[in-house]
Order: sequence, then C-alpha cells, then structure tokens
Amino acid sequence: MYELTEEGKKYLKEGLPEINLIKKLKEKELSFEEVKKLQNFNIALQWAKKNNWVKIEKGILKLTEKGKKATKEKYETEEFLKKVEKGLNKKEADILLKRNLIRKITKEEIEAKKLAGKEILNLTPELLKTGYWRKVKFKPYNVEIPGKKIYPGKKQPYNRFLFEVKQKIVNLGFKEMRGPLIETEFWNFDALFQPQNHSARDWTDTYQLKYPKFGKLPKKELVEKVKATHENGWITGSKGWGYKWNSEKAARLMPRAHDTAISPRYLSGLKGKLEIPGKYFSLVRCFRPDVIDSTHSLEFYQLGGFVIAENLTFKDLLGLLKMFAIEFAGTEEIKFYGDYYPFTEPSVQLSAKHPKLGWIEFGGAGIFREELTKPLGIDIPVIAWGLGVDRLAMFKLGIKDIRDLFTQDLKWLREKEVIKCQQ
Amino acid sequence: MPTIEVSRQDLCRLIGKDLSIKELEEVILYAKGEIDSIDNDKIKIDIKDTDRPDLWSVEGIAREIKSRITRDVGLPEYSVLSSPIVIKVDKKVNKVRPLTACGVVKNLNIDENILSQIIQLQEKVAGTFGRNRKEVAIGIYNLDKIKPPIKYTTVKPDEIKFVPLDYESELTPKQILAEHEKGKEFGHLLKDCKEYPIFIDSDNNVLSMPPIINSNYSGKVTEKTKNLFIECTGFQFKFLFTALNVMVTALADRGGIIESVKIIYPNNSIITPDLAPKKTFVDVDYINKISGLNLTKKEMCTLLEQARYKPELKGNKIELLYPSYRQDILHQRDIVEDVIISFGYNKITPTIPKLPTVGSIDKLEQFSNILSEIMIGFGLQEIMSYILTNKKNLFDKMRLEQEKVVEILNPISMNFNVFRTWLLPGLLEFLSRNKHVDYPQGIFEIGDVVLIDEEKETRTTDVRKIACAITNNEVNYSEASSILDALLKNINITYKLKKTEHKSFIQGRCAKVLINNKEIGIIGEFCPKVLENFNLETPVVGFELDLESLLNNK
Repeated sequence: MYELTEEGKKYLKEGLPEINLIKKLKEKELSFEEVKKLQNFNIALQWAKKNNWVKIEKGILKLTEKGKKATKEKYETEEFLKKVEKGLNKKEADILLKRNLIRKITKEEIEAKKLAGKEILNLTPELLKTGYWRKVKFKPYNVEIPGKKIYPGKKQPYNRFLFEVKQKIVNLGFKEMRGPLIETEFWNFDALFQPQNHSARDWTDTYQLKYPKFGKLPKKELVEKVKATHENGWITGSKGWGYKWNSEKAARLMPRAHDTAISPRYLSGLKGKLEIPGKYFSLVRCFRPDVIDSTHSLEFYQLGGFVIAENLTFKDLLGLLKMFAIEFAGTEEIKFYGDYYPFTEPSVQLSAKHPKLGWIEFGGAGIFREELTKPLGIDIPVIAWGLGVDRLAMFKLGIKDIRDLFTQDLKWLREKEVIKCQQ
Repeated sequence: MPTIEVSRQDLCRLIGKDLSIKELEEVILYAKGEIDSIDNDKIKIDIKDTDRPDLWSVEGIAREIKSRITRDVGLPEYSVLSSPIVIKVDKKVNKVRPLTACGVVKNLNIDENILSQIIQLQEKVAGTFGRNRKEVAIGIYNLDKIKPPIKYTTVKPDEIKFVPLDYESELTPKQILAEHEKGKEFGHLLKDCKEYPIFIDSDNNVLSMPPIINSNYSGKVTEKTKNLFIECTGFQFKFLFTALNVMVTALADRGGIIESVKIIYPNNSIITPDLAPKKTFVDVDYINKISGLNLTKKEMCTLLEQARYKPELKGNKIELLYPSYRQDILHQRDIVEDVIISFGYNKITPTIPKLPTVGSIDKLEQFSNILSEIMIGFGLQEIMSYILTNKKNLFDKMRLEQEKVVEILNPISMNFNVFRTWLLPGLLEFLSRNKHVDYPQGIFEIGDVVLIDEEKETRTTDVRKIACAITNNEVNYSEASSILDALLKNINITYKLKKTEHKSFIQGRCAKVLINNKEIGIIGEFCPKVLENFNLETPVVGFELDLESLLNNK
C-alpha cells in the first residue's frame, strides 16, 4: 500500500511542476531568468528536459514539438498520482517512488490512522508501532468491578499441609523414614511386642489380605529373638507374654495399620546404619477397618517416629512432647495423661491447649519397651512418639468432616484459599 | 480403651473423700483415666490401660486413687474364707472350653447402682480383657438358688431345655444359638462344637451355657440378691484368675465376703480364688535411669506404696509384693511407670533434649514436591485420592483384563477392597464427579500404587507415580504431549514417544514414554468407551509416569 507524500499531495492539487512549466511556455516563451523565478523550477526543468519537452536557445526556454504535444495529452505521472488511493502496480509505483511522491505504508499504519482522533477500547500494537497512540483517546473502563473467575493450578490443600508439617519436623532435626504400604504382621505387630492374641490384632481391628497372604520374615536370628521375647522374655528381663509364638501368623501380610510399623525396621539396622544420637520421623498413610464417618477416614496419615540417644529419660520424653506442642499447636499450655501402648512403657498422652481449638489430644509418646529394643540390638533408651496431624489439618483447612481431606470436589479445591501451615 | 460410667457420689464415697469435678479430673490420672463427659452425677471415664481390668470399675478406680490421696496405702488386703462348695469338671469340656475358675461373694447389699456397676465390670472384663468372651466369659449367679455341687460339663444340642436370662420360654442349646440374641452374637465361639458347655447344679437346674447366656432361674441377679456365685471359663488360667480376682475384689470393696471354692478337674483340683499377692523386684538405679527423677530409695518406697505395692528395700533392689488382680507386670519398666504415676506426670519439669542431629526429607518425597510445582505451573489442580479402590475401576471401566492385585479379605466396603495399580482411573473417577464444574478441567496426582512383586519381602512393591488428565470440549492429544514434554525437559530428561496400542486409549492416539528404551509411562487420548464407562461427556487426554524412574534417570 502507498500513500502520497506531502510533495505528492501538493502536485496532485496544484499540478506537477513540469506540466505547469510547459503550460506556461505554451502561452509564452520565457527567458531562463524568468523561469528561474517559478516555483519548483529545478524539478520542473529537470523533468521537462528529461521528457524532451523543452530546449534552451540563447537564454530562452522553448517548447519542443514533443512538448507542444504533451500540453494536449494526459501525463502518465499525473495519472498515476490520481490512482494512488485505488492502488498502483509495481511499475507505476516505482515511477512515483523514485520521485518521492508516494511512500510505502503498512496495514498497521492504515488501521492506526483510522483510529486517530477517536476514543478507543484497546491499545493495539499498531498504535504503539506507528505512534498513533498519541492521537487517540482511551475509553475509561469500570475498574471497580471484580474480574472474571479464573482458576490457578494449586497444590491439594491437605498435601500442602502435610508437606509443611514435614518441613517443620525436618527443621527440628528429624530424618524421614519410609516403609512399605503392605507390611508383614511381624513388623506391624510382633517386632513391636504386640502379642499375637492381642485384641488390636483381631479380625475386626485390622485388615487382612485375600491376596497375597504371606510375606517373608527377616533373618532367622532376629525372628528367633522376637519369638523368645514373646514366649518367655528372652534376655530382656521380661516374663514375656507366655504363649506359643507362631511364625506363620507373623508372616501374614496386612496393609500398614500405623506409622510405628516403620520404626523397628530402622532400629534393626536393616535400613542402613542407625544414627546415634538420632531423630527419625515418618509421615505416612495408614489403613484400618474403622467404620467410616466424619471422624474416621478410610485412609489417614500418621506422623510419628523415635529419638534415640544415650541416657534419655522420661523427662526428655515430656520435653520432646512439649516442644511439639509449642511448634505445632503454638502453645506451652500442656497437660500429660498416662496412656497405654503395647510397645511403650511408660507411656504418655499429650493434651495441648490450642489457641483456637481449646484442649486437644495432640499426641502420645513412650519409651520403647526393652522387649522391643533388645531383640533389635538396641541397648539404649528409645523414645517413640506420634502426633495427631489430622485434627490440626481439619482446623487449618476449615473442614468438619475428616473424609474431606481427600476431597473429590474440584470446585472446593479451586476455590479453597491457599493456607499456610501457621507457626 | 474401656469407657466406664460411674456415679460421682459413689466414687467419692469409695475414695473416702468428697472431691469436686476439678479435683477428680486431677486424681483420676492416678488410675490412668480421663474424664470423658459429665452428666450431673454420672461421669464417663476413659481408662487408658487395656491391660489393667482392675481399673475398669468404680471400685478399682477408687482403690487406686485412695492410696494416692489418703493414708490408706500399700497392698490392699483381702481375706478369703473357704466354702464347702465344689465344682466338678467333666473331661468332656476339654473339647469345647476346658477351664473354669470360680468363687463366691456373700453378704452383699446390692442396690441399683451397685448392680449396674457389677454388670458393667463383667461386660468390660469379658469384652475387652476376655477378647469378646473368647478368652474369658463370666457368669454371675444368685448363690441361694444353686444347690451344690455344681457340674461343669457338656450337653448335646437338643439334650436339655432351660429358660435363658430375661426370656419366658424354655429353649434347647441349639435353639438358643439359632434364636436368642446372645446366641446369635456369640454363637461363633461354639462353632464346630458337637456338644455345648453347661453349668448345672445337683437339682439339675442349669446355671448357664457359657460363653453364651445364663439361665433365668439362678443366673438372674437383682437388688434382692445377697450372695453371689461367680464363674469364669476359657482356655488359660492366667486370664481366668485375673478376671475372677478383679471381680471378687471389686465386690469385696463393697463389703462382700469372699469365699473360695474347690474345682475338681479329672486329674487334679484347685482352689479359687487365690488372692495371695505376687512377687517381683525392681532395681533402684533402673527407676532413676528411666524416670530421670533422681529419687531417693525412701521416696521410691513411698511412691510404690501409693501405687499399691508392698516394697521391701534390699540393698540396691526393692523387693515387691503386688495385688493378685494384676497380670500386666512383665518387666521392671512396668513398675517404673507406676512410680512415675504416683509422682504425678504433671509435677515433672520436662527437659527438651538437645541432640546434634540433622534433619532431612526423603529424596523421593522431595522430588515429588518438585514435580508437583512444575505441574501446578501448567495450571493443573493437584488432587489426592484413596489408594484403595476396586477392580471395576482399575480394569473393567478401563477396558482391561483383570490382573492379580493386592486385595483385602475383610474390606469395609466393596468399593475399596483393592490397592490401586495405576492412578489414571482415579483421575477419571474424579472428573466424573465434577462434570458440573467449569471447564476446562486439568488435574494431576502424585501418589503410590502397589504392585505384586513375588521377590520382595512383602511380595509387593510400592511405586510412586505421577499422572494428569485434562478435559474440555476440544481437548486433544497435543495438550497432553506438550505438558509431558515441558515437564520432562524441566527435569532434564531425554525421552522418546513410541506409538502403541492400549485398550484404554483411542487407537492411533496413544504412545509409550521411553527413557533409554525403557518404558516408564503412557500417554494418550482416552477411548470413548472408557469415557462412557465413567459417564464422561467431554474428551479426556492424559498421561501417567513412573516417578521413581524419572528420579533415577535424572
């Protein structure tokens, strides 16, 4: 596309200088001195000469025959000038371009030009490139109405909470442990000195597998020690439970019922060298056949672990729980209750006065029984601990039904505020 | 954890001190209890210890508190008179429920409250300690309606008839198992038995059919009953003796007089109840080593007396006598806990252990979090599903042949009876529940699946996976492949896509994801039949990758 230059426009309006010249000469021959006074004399003379329209004789400018003829005919260049708006072919354009009577213009320029002086909605790249933005007005928007709904990608809130808990516990110097989702009863119960006829091992309290049914027991040496401890206390100083321990029952597989199933694997050294002093944790999914309701989920997370060091005492255990209360529930107001776990003695339950929730059962701890630690080759005290994170998660996420931690509601996930696990 | 209901007034009377609720909240800790709820005089108490049935009665709780707050410390003394009553055990019971321990408590003044306490204790002991009557069943009778000697024997299912407790007509044992509420509830304990156990007196009046139901004649205890006969049946004396001792000592605390009976077995005879204290010891140093309390020997003895022991200092050892109703003391540790409870958990100043350890998050968890971040960058919403699902979702709906998977024998719901083997079915299920929500929808999940692996210790292996699914009116394969490409480039992984066929995806629109020629995942547009199976009405594309392979190839 082309448009007339200022010069082009002028010529279109006033006529091309060489035409104006020959029209004048047709009326009357002019001396060179007189011609010099005419507008655009140089251009006029240059093109008139080039076209062989004029000749100079003794200081007088005269029309040639060709020049005389030209005064009666249409002039190509002038015709092209008139056609610029309609469009030129390349040859035509080249002629005018050479004389700088037209210039190339872009589509953007054309578009931008149209907007000049108007009130517009969108600032366009054309306006910016051509500078025409200077010539437009911007229509004001209603900037006070909220924007259209959009949904960012986000972390699942419960997962975010769990990861933040994890980071916090790591900051307290704990190392993460992992263990299998499907466990042998050996690690889930027997290694924890839970007798095989214990009610927690009943059909109604634990899942059993239809397939696969049995796993493998660890090395015989360890199994023998656990067996002896259950039966008669072995060398642990205990009486034992006094029953015939059944290795087949211990080899039965089950979905992991509690996080503590992982600890004896690490204590036994089977997971690599145990660090002493050491602080370990796991935050893992567990499975129990509870009736599903607003306080029982089909699957749940447990946070727990152990602390091992020479000379740990019950006072340290209480201190550990106190630290957790400060870090996770944000309170120093705590109360200890006696508690019972088959694998710890003494055992404690921690209640903490959460600033918003009031008194909550927050966790438990105990010193692992020697019937548990000695068969695993540990002769120093090991504090086992566990914290109830689901209650805190529900509070932080503002949900009443524990099943909503694994929500299937996309709308809720999209609209749920991103919540930080507060200090 | 047993929860028992007591009357506050009754509890205070037994303790011998009137205590406010606030005071009770404190002292209940000595009995490892916690007040659950209060309704006027009625208090519900959770007793934490599942190995101490002696604490599951108002009498037991009072006994434990009394020694901590009054001068009534040390071993509780019970005298046992001997009665002429004999129980003859027929060898036929060997095949069904071989053992019994029995006793008599006389001179009781039973009121409504005491009666409900007796029944409550009986239920808790047989239920929790007796493993729902399997290990211990307890029968309590009006002794005055029984004519000794009593026989413990068996009968054929139709051999006799008697009126069960709170029933009007006579039933045979067989009918009881088929028709009576308790028969239905506990009948499984007599499964495969050809004959059923029975207590019967010398007038041929049936006392009961353990472990199911008492007779209405002698097995009904009311406020008018003065003298009780108590029997426990099961398989191991250590459980039976504990249960019997717990029952008779609670009644003795009510003023009853305990009498022993003679039980004649085919080859020997025993006298029960035996309330002679048991013996053990504890090392002085061990108490301080575990508790960290730096107690003197004298302090230890005082605390032990408050915990109902009778201590005798022998050098660096303390020899101990403790009540016959306790069977939970296996190790010195158990005694240390009693010392600390006497001291009071909340009187101890906690010391926060300062240990030079360095914390760390597991590599795979760390990596999962990084991938999650990248996926969120694509505008995808993270979701979390249950690991438990069903075969219909995993295979049938995905148009796949069923394979062997980890399956639960006793699921709560048939919808959640197997462990997932891949994540995509869960994502489709999720989308199917959100059809009414704004489109486009893009979701992802990072989580574990469980595969059979016969070589492994647990015959299974957990595999961490990452999967995504996108749906919209005009979604296509390239949206999934673009995300996959960007994801893998951002973790510096070179991969190849290789055309493949998979029944869950449209033919010609599915590829394997390969790293070093090893298949680590799949990508494609879901087959319309699959969408139909999940009741989805918009096209869905997605992929699933083995996250551990990604980590190892980084």
